[in-house]
Amino acid sequence: MWSTHQFWVAFLREIGISSENIVFSSDTSEEQGREFGKGRGTVDCCYPVKAMSGHYGELIFGQKNKLHIIMSPMIYSLPSFMRGHTSENLACTRVMAGPENIRAGFMKESDVFGDNGIKYAAPFVNMAEPEMVPKQMYDCLKDVFDIDMAETQRAVDAGYNALRVFNEKAQAETRKVLTWCARNSKPCVLVLGRPYHMDPGIGHEIEADLQAYGYPIVWLQYLPVDKDLLDWIFGEEVQAKKIRSPLDISDVWTSSNSSNTNEIMWGAKFGARFPWITCVLRLSSYECGMDQPTYTPTQKIVEAAGTLFFKFGDLDSTKPAGSIRIRIETIVHYLAKYSEKIMNQKLALLPPDCPLLLDKQEQSEKSLASVAGSD
Amino acid sequence: MATAVTHYTSYKARPFTREQRDKTTILFGGLTWKHERLVQGVFNNLNYNAKPLPNIARADLDAGKELIDTGACCPTIFTTGSLVNFLKNEVAVNGKQKTLDDYVFLTAGACGPCRFGQYHESYEMALDGMGLKDFRLFLLAQDQLDQAPEKPGGLEINMHLSLGIVWAILVGDILTDMEYLTRPYEVTPGETDRVMKESADYLFEVFQQRPLRSNKYGMLAWHFLSGYFADALRVVRKKFDAIEVDRLQVKPKVKITGEFWLQTHEGDGNYNIKRWLEQEGSEVMPPPVAVWLGYLLHTPLWRLAAKPNVDRKIRMKMAMIRGMEKLYNGTYNRFRKAMGNVPHELPDQEELKQLASPFFHHELRGGEGHMLIGKALHAHLHKHANMTCELSPYSCMPNTMSQGAMANVLGRHPDLLYAPIEIKGDAEVHALSRCQMILTEAKKRSQSEFVEAMAKTGLTLEKIRQIEEKNPKVKKATYRIPHYGYASTAANYALHLASMRAN
Repeated sequence: MWSTHQFWVAFLREIGISSENIVFSSDTSEEQGREFGKGRGTVDCCYPVKAMSGHYGELIFGQKNKLHIIMSPMIYSLPSFMRGHTSENLACTRVMAGPENIRAGFMKESDVFGDNGIKYAAPFVNMAEPEMVPKQMYDCLKDVFDIDMAETQRAVDAGYNALRVFNEKAQAETRKVLTWCARNSKPCVLVLGRPYHMDPGIGHEIEADLQAYGYPIVWLQYLPVDKDLLDWIFGEEVQAKKIRSPLDISDVWTSSNSSNTNEIMWGAKFGARFPWITCVLRLSSYECGMDQPTYTPTQKIVEAAGTLFFKFGDLDSTKPAGSIRIRIETIVHYLAKYSEKIMNQKLALLPPDCPLLLDKQEQSEKSLASVAGSD
Repeated sequence: MATAVTHYTSYKARPFTREQRDKTTILFGGLTWKHERLVQGVFNNLNYNAKPLPNIARADLDAGKELIDTGACCPTIFTTGSLVNFLKNEVAVNGKQKTLDDYVFLTAGACGPCRFGQYHESYEMALDGMGLKDFRLFLLAQDQLDQAPEKPGGLEINMHLSLGIVWAILVGDILTDMEYLTRPYEVTPGETDRVMKESADYLFEVFQQRPLRSNKYGMLAWHFLSGYFADALRVVRKKFDAIEVDRLQVKPKVKITGEFWLQTHEGDGNYNIKRWLEQEGSEVMPPPVAVWLGYLLHTPLWRLAAKPNVDRKIRMKMAMIRGMEKLYNGTYNRFRKAMGNVPHELPDQEELKQLASPFFHHELRGGEGHMLIGKALHAHLHKHANMTCELSPYSCMPNTMSQGAMANVLGRHPDLLYAPIEIKGDAEVHALSRCQMILTEAKKRSQSEFVEAMAKTGLTLEKIRQIEEKNPKVKKATYRIPHYGYASTAANYALHLASMRAN
């Protein structure tokens, strides 16, 4: 949900559900799990999936106004910015199947949804293939919302549009942060995590603790993918045929099936090369089988050009505040001590004309020159 | 500029050339010793030197853990450790360079989102850790029969090889099914194992001598039409004919399901649980690899049907897949027939989907997907097994999801005996005692079934024995016992003998 929420909100609005009638469960927390999810878990697995029991329970039992429908999509594939550059863009197998697992905990003794007058809807969607989605949504939701195919198609289009606008805005904001760092020779920190690590109860706001020391934080999901910037960073490698395009990860990761893993690997490559990212913060949840094979490769990618790499692994329900604080202090120490050296070192590896250092006039001239050159 | 720093790159196997083929041995593994023996025959048939890795041992777990990232599932750790230990030994005996030159490793790849598709990352990490980054490792995609490159290399994953491997798997499944149907009831202990060894050696020769056609489509047609393998299985049947069995021993039937590697494996990797179950007095229904291949063959139909416009082209594709499926199932049934129809039929993929659909969406990929639920319900509702034992690796991503959904299944089918066993590789007592608890109940069920069946016959056990003596063919391992609606063999057998008396 953390990477596709805009789609769902826009979809629901388009079919006539008003904003005040769209309710998201609150951020994950231990209290939420204890109060609403206790006894509903059916198996031990990674925390982001286990936590879903609390979310379901909160939506059923924790609302002032009873809900009529709970929608928990089974997202098979994701609309990644890397589509076309990788083998597939699949969601993690647990993320896609999590709703079936969690639903079982609310069905095993009796139908808790039905008992509470709630319709449960879990559309199975290939979000990486927009042409598949209207039919999938219609098949699952036609009776739930009393919608026809044309309405569904419009709502899906609205959903994708909203998601695109949001992502572009977030990428533009990240570019502003990176530009500020470049122009002021300031270091920033890249978070390599999965979208659910943005949930304060799952990622435990580790990056916020670091930000409090004055270091700008950027998330890999919203790194800018503008041509000028990617050409500057990856252009020489593309020309040398080491990679097919700036978003190609075949040089570091062979089985590019998982969308979020693909993005993490690419984010690591970006972080390894972008001069003002002097530190990469790797977040990983307890028992994450998708992250597990990537631990060493991501570290090796990031550290190859001297970028600092710190991993917070096995994140679970409890925030280990004490150890996080100590590690944050360590990170801050290293950032302060080595950032300048790292920035200079990495800058020396790239062509001189960083697009972030050019003003608008220069960028426009460069862009025109490149068009003329290509003609 | 960027040349000043060497950015990280992942493992790339150095070439395995056509000229090196004669001096190089292809290592492989991941199946049972029977399947692997037959696959070895296929490689030899195509003039490759090939060798299965030694069967998984407990020491492989430790070796694997040392060299790969923490948190891996146990099949990853075991299989990595197995390769590591083999190579360590080779390096110690023959030296590093000779090991690098003499061997390549072929492994299955691609499994959508599951970690199985990324096992090779662990192998590569382990090779790096051992200082053997130059060791050659290749991936065999499960969904492509023909991956032949334009320029012939040392290893050509073409139709000849892929068909051979698939047929070796089907024959290996038939053989394995016969083994598990026979051994629990053998009158002379060790007889089944002896015949199995003999049969596997014979079939190895059969695969090694497989006639080859130069044209790949000719090869495809030959595999579907020739009686070559069915004839060979008839020879194997004669070997099994000689095994005398006593099917009046009341034993619960335990269906094994689970993650692909764990459910298939026979050894320390799953605490040798199939043998253990037999020692505990049960009959095991092993999982045929053919069901997985059938799933791979069938699932594109669902994906095509989900397309927004199912036009003529898509319908043609679907018809082609259905045709292939018929040929595939027909081939398996021909092999079953050659063994007297004793081995179990393959379940219908559409039925597995329908059974699982109230609990688990059929398009949720990764691992066995909805099949674990479908198979458990299939065995339960058709009374093919008294209990289902599901083997799941600790932290297996797809299995944990369907296992969780089983809570919903058990809510609706509380009489389904289900033992989900989490396997870490180093917690044998815990896993087996958990299985024991459900097995105790399954034993009671099989006893009740037998009592009920005997009551239906209206005969005493002595009388049943007399009928058996008068019809010595029923004591052959290759005699097929019809299904009379009971899971356990003894109950069906008693009813069958009673029906013989009536005739």
